[in-house]
Amino acid sequence: MSTRRERPPTSYALAGPAGLWMLVALVVPTLFIVWVSLWVARGFTLASPLTLANYGKFFARPAYVHVLGDTVQQALVMMVITGVVGYSIAYFLVVHVRRPGLQLALFLGLVVPFWTSALIRTIAWIPFLGVNGVINQALLAIGAVDRPVEAFLFSRAGITLAQVSFYTLLATGPVVYTLRNIPRSLPEAAQCLRATPLHVFWLITFPLTLPGVVIGQILVFLNVMADFATAQAIGGHKYAFLGNLVILLYESGQFSFAAVVSVLLMTTMLLGVALLLKVVDIRRFGEP
Amino acid sequence: MIAWRTRQRLVKGALGAVTVLFLAYQWLPMLTMAVLSFTGPEGGTTFPMRGVSLHWYRELLRVQMVDDFKPPLARSVALALACSVTTAALALAAAQAMRARFLGSRIYFYLILLGVMAPGLLVGFGVALLARALGLGLAWYTSTFAVHIVWTLPFGFLTMLAVFNRFDRRLEEAALTLRATHWTTFWRITFPLVLPGVIGAALFGFTLSYDEFARSLFATGPEQTLPLVIYAQFDRQLQPTLYAIGAVTTAVSLGAVALFACLVRLFRRRTLTRARAVPAPNIP
Amino acid sequence: MRVNDTPPWQRDIAMMFQDFALFPHMTVARQVGFGLEMLRRPAAEIRRRVTDSLAAFDIGALADRKPDTLSGGQKQRVALARALITEPRILLLDEPIGSLDYSLREAVMLELRDVQRRLGISFIWVTHDQNEAFSLGDRVVVMNHARIEQVGAPEDIAERPRTRFVASFVQGTNVFDGTVESVDGDHIRVRTPSGSFLVPRPDERSPSAGEPTSFSVRAALLTMRPGSEHVNQVRAVCHAIEYLGAIRRYDFRLADGRSLKLEQFTGRDRRIGEGEPVTLGWRIEDGWLHAPPVEPA
Repeated sequence: MSTRRERPPTSYALAGPAGLWMLVALVVPTLFIVWVSLWVARGFTLASPLTLANYGKFFARPAYVHVLGDTVQQALVMMVITGVVGYSIAYFLVVHVRRPGLQLALFLGLVVPFWTSALIRTIAWIPFLGVNGVINQALLAIGAVDRPVEAFLFSRAGITLAQVSFYTLLATGPVVYTLRNIPRSLPEAAQCLRATPLHVFWLITFPLTLPGVVIGQILVFLNVMADFATAQAIGGHKYAFLGNLVILLYESGQFSFAAVVSVLLMTTMLLGVALLLKVVDIRRFGEP
Repeated sequence: MIAWRTRQRLVKGALGAVTVLFLAYQWLPMLTMAVLSFTGPEGGTTFPMRGVSLHWYRELLRVQMVDDFKPPLARSVALALACSVTTAALALAAAQAMRARFLGSRIYFYLILLGVMAPGLLVGFGVALLARALGLGLAWYTSTFAVHIVWTLPFGFLTMLAVFNRFDRRLEEAALTLRATHWTTFWRITFPLVLPGVIGAALFGFTLSYDEFARSLFATGPEQTLPLVIYAQFDRQLQPTLYAIGAVTTAVSLGAVALFACLVRLFRRRTLTRARAVPAPNIP
Repeated sequence: MRVNDTPPWQRDIAMMFQDFALFPHMTVARQVGFGLEMLRRPAAEIRRRVTDSLAAFDIGALADRKPDTLSGGQKQRVALARALITEPRILLLDEPIGSLDYSLREAVMLELRDVQRRLGISFIWVTHDQNEAFSLGDRVVVMNHARIEQVGAPEDIAERPRTRFVASFVQGTNVFDGTVESVDGDHIRVRTPSGSFLVPRPDERSPSAGEPTSFSVRAALLTMRPGSEHVNQVRAVCHAIEYLGAIRRYDFRLADGRSLKLEQFTGRDRRIGEGEPVTLGWRIEDGWLHAPPVEPA
């Protein structure tokens, strides 16, 4: 309970429970997964000898490598889409909306769905995309198509469409934060120095919001990589990402292989985050 | 060449259109689902609606052998309440600890934050494996509870850190100069002022736990929580009962948010305006 | 010259902001050259002119530094160099020394004035500080809620405030509110709660009797020993005395509770104590009648 003492004993007592919880419920299980991924045995055998061959087996199966590639590709596509849409929304909210009441209302409108179940939001997309779904009925009604478009449900496009509605806010939030931190005098100063609005955005505003953009991209990347429910609900059984693969393997009792996929998933996520963070460091306040 | 003012207005219009369209894009599926949940007994899972009724809601209330939503709902609410209290308490303690720089506080910070970054599915997977190795059973009030806290704690922690950041230390110091002990200072000065943050952490604990399914997937025993039951429906045929439960559960989530917001307002007003009558000192 | 319809980046006006508005992600050299970059000048020319500009403001050593490593005074000079390198016709300065340390302000103010004299560019300097405005400005514009109340040299503003607002804005001025009692040739009699006083009639106007009006008298023009030429007189009690080095400022209270300020050089006679009653006086020509308030725009 100290306000001034350095390294007081009570701090350790206060910090203990939470730290312990995370260690036991998160760190240890993760390490356990890594250990399981090295098992020779397929089923659950604690005494199993260890090998790295499982990883080799993963990369030897083109279908599995395909899944890895698909997952990463989906993440990249989502990063681009949410990046553009998210930035546009953030820019509009912070720069163009003057009245604080309207700003708050719009922001709440964007954020409130996050307080509801992601599963329900996923389910809600199904009637939208199906052959008899709302989008198709609307298209038929306005005469844009003669037959219902089958390509929405059970397709990558459908998964992407749904994921955009879920994850764009993750890209918007950090950008809103960094945009807000730019003093209003900066764009004005640039304009006084003969910079057109395009110049102002590209040379002043955007570079200063780059940290927010990157954080948003990282959040979207992590979420899309780990997403399995959307693929299952909207893709049916035609599409599998790494998460779906883990479930499949677990349910068929191939624990060590499920662990291999898990480790690969975690590693890819770590690599992606490391790469993205490099971008920020290099470009932070830098100039071309 | 378009005049510059017109160009500015065009850009603003375009961005505004994107924002509004996106808002609609986000809300329409949910609103559609809510509307469709009121479809008549003959109604299918999409438009046109055949009649308007509460039929599917009544179906929810019926006791069924399979697909009974009521016990999972009860479990989810109970679990969410437990997570709410636990998250608030742990986050408060952890954030208070962070205020003094103790050894390893940087690593500690990242340790807590790991809970957000780790994919839910894998956390559940790991716990399931670990439980199996140790011969422990999985149950919604043990293993699921554990992984839920892993997920909710970082959010509560960040909330409390932000609140403590804005907190004026000098208030505590003033209390200490007035002969209060550390303990009294905390409960009489600090706690009431950071209460909105505590309530926020509790809110995170409730809603995040209530909706959680990725972590729970592997880590829950035979008695499932509501999101898991809903998830199991993915492979079955879609029925409007699912829309009904979807609407109900969304209402619960939003209701919780509204309730917590009201609590914050209430406490803030009470703390800041209520003055306790103090007897005047007897100075001769 | 109306610039409302010209886009801001095409106006020939530069601006200095109170928070300096330096670009945090650019080095000093890049910032200073920014305006020239926007004007598409060749790279070699930009480099040359930036080096010259940095040398002129004595900040050459800071060329590769980022703004967050600079002191307040250094930031000011970078902002100035940046603004002036495009050779604008006018420089707008928005409270340029407001965010500097008190000790720096005087020096920077004089430095900026020197720059202006040297370059011959018009500076429009916005401030709330009357001392700044009067000591720097060749022409002072007093504004009230976006309306111009008076334009003139500092001396004109101080000694002949056009409206009541300007008079109350200038330090060391006493303002009287009242109604016109009568017009008597070159003089106007104004009735106020503190008494009835004669004020010279302004050339361009002839107020009518009963019209509400106000006038002001400089604190330095009041005397505690009124003679026959000090026609306007009033009884007052000394309320407080401030010793300001060269002058003494007195705060007197009148019978109706109003206060009057009087300033006198120290060393001049008639020292009085607090609470002492005295008669104050001023000549007719020391008063200045105000014009009616400016209508809202």
